[in-house]
Amino acid sequence: MSETIIQLDNVTVRFRVPHEKIPTFQEYAIRWLKKRRVTYSDFNALNDVSFSVGRGETIGIIGANGAGKSTLLKVISRVICPTRGRVLLRGRIAPLLELGAGFDDEMTGRENVFLNGAVLGFSRKDIASRLEGIINFSGIGEFIDAPIRTYSSGMVARLGFAIATDVQPEILIMDEVLSVGDAEFQKKSMARIMEYHHNGSTILIVSHNPNSISQLCNRTIWIEHGFLKMIGKTTDVLNQYSRNIPS
Amino acid sequence: MEYDSNKKQPPFLEELVQLFHYHELIFLITGNILKNRYKRSVLGILWMLLNPLLQTIVLAIAFGAMFKSSLSNYPVYLLSGLITWSFITQTTQYSMGAMAYGGGLLKKIYIPRATYIVAVVGNGFVNFLISIFSMIIVVLFLGHPIESSWFFLPFSIMIITIFSLGFALLLSTASVFFADSIDIYQVLIQALFFLTPIIYPASTLPPDWSGLMAWNPFYYLIEIFRIPVYENTLPDNDLILISSLLAISTLLIGWLVFTSKADQLAYRL
Repeated sequence: MSETIIQLDNVTVRFRVPHEKIPTFQEYAIRWLKKRRVTYSDFNALNDVSFSVGRGETIGIIGANGAGKSTLLKVISRVICPTRGRVLLRGRIAPLLELGAGFDDEMTGRENVFLNGAVLGFSRKDIASRLEGIINFSGIGEFIDAPIRTYSSGMVARLGFAIATDVQPEILIMDEVLSVGDAEFQKKSMARIMEYHHNGSTILIVSHNPNSISQLCNRTIWIEHGFLKMIGKTTDVLNQYSRNIPS
Repeated sequence: MEYDSNKKQPPFLEELVQLFHYHELIFLITGNILKNRYKRSVLGILWMLLNPLLQTIVLAIAFGAMFKSSLSNYPVYLLSGLITWSFITQTTQYSMGAMAYGGGLLKKIYIPRATYIVAVVGNGFVNFLISIFSMIIVVLFLGHPIESSWFFLPFSIMIITIFSLGFALLLSTASVFFADSIDIYQVLIQALFFLTPIIYPASTLPPDWSGLMAWNPFYYLIEIFRIPVYENTLPDNDLILISSLLAISTLLIGWLVFTSKADQLAYRL
């Protein structure tokens, strides 16, 4: 296998679930006075998950709802820290999970390009030099100087996509195959992702649709109850997976 | 760019490095808070100047007569205390809310966890500077003297800002873990407003109360700003020492508490 880009070693993510919800200080204090301590149970959203992904691979991730797919993506995109184990990334990650994260409704599209760019870790200078390209790709046109609150949801997603993918990332993370904007933009965005893929970007896709996984991914990871159930060639994993679902 | 979840520095250092890396984001958010607040109003940014002035006029009419004999130029006394108080309490209150507001973003994408808190304090800092301008207008209007003691003010402002940041970090952490800490804080703040010599002089307090004042941190933080402005003298060494220690220790504790809990925030919010 080529150079390793993503590596997970025994990654465990543990959520602490209180048996009773104690959201307020008042209740907590009452319990403390009554010497009734809050009891917790631990819930492992991910259990000792290990795998590695090489440069340029396209990996599908499948599993039922609540299996831990989103937690896996979050731990890779460093939103949450693993409770145990290690996540190693080589390269910049472009999470296409939340397009336009942190957009400010009152600000114009142009101002939000800078804001979202900063959220993604780009410098102002960098964004300024790429501003025209981002605006052109998004196809927002003259509305770029109107507040985001006047945008349709498709326009917001288009602008978010244009910012997040303007520079080729080493790693692209997607939750379901993108369906951003209208048919034309979907074609354009898919073309850009494929172009990055050909140029060596690694892609992770979470999907419930076996067709899109088998179309795009050479390897697939199957997650069940927080455990890595299977990893291997997409056809093999999908075969096992579909057998597992009572139809 | 490389990321290794194991090879991180200790949280209090890591967060500092990351905040520095994302400093442009902090400036942007600070600016956006400022812009958003007044964007849709006719007078716009002018409100920031007018607000403390109008507040002072109301309070000066209400209480001016009461303290006329003990305090000359009462509006200057009032305003210098009031803007300091507002800076500290408004930033802390706002940052507790911002944790809930910016919290959504913390769950979606990686940004330094303290981003919103620092931005809110930055915004409060700018507001504070603008209200100092309002205060200068009042000072000039009333012909209150401006003397060399005013050169001490940058130091006072620094102390107050450091304290506010530390306090905001502490309370924001609390607000994530206990949803009602915002309400508790609001009630406490209301009580403290009247327990702190802001609208009245400390000398009007009964003697056994002034001992209690020694335990009120807001008292020192307001005095460190008010004395150079109102009394045109330098604060004494004790006051400088106490308020500096107060500010620095609050920031240190706030920073350590916040960063040690920072990894849990994405789970909790």
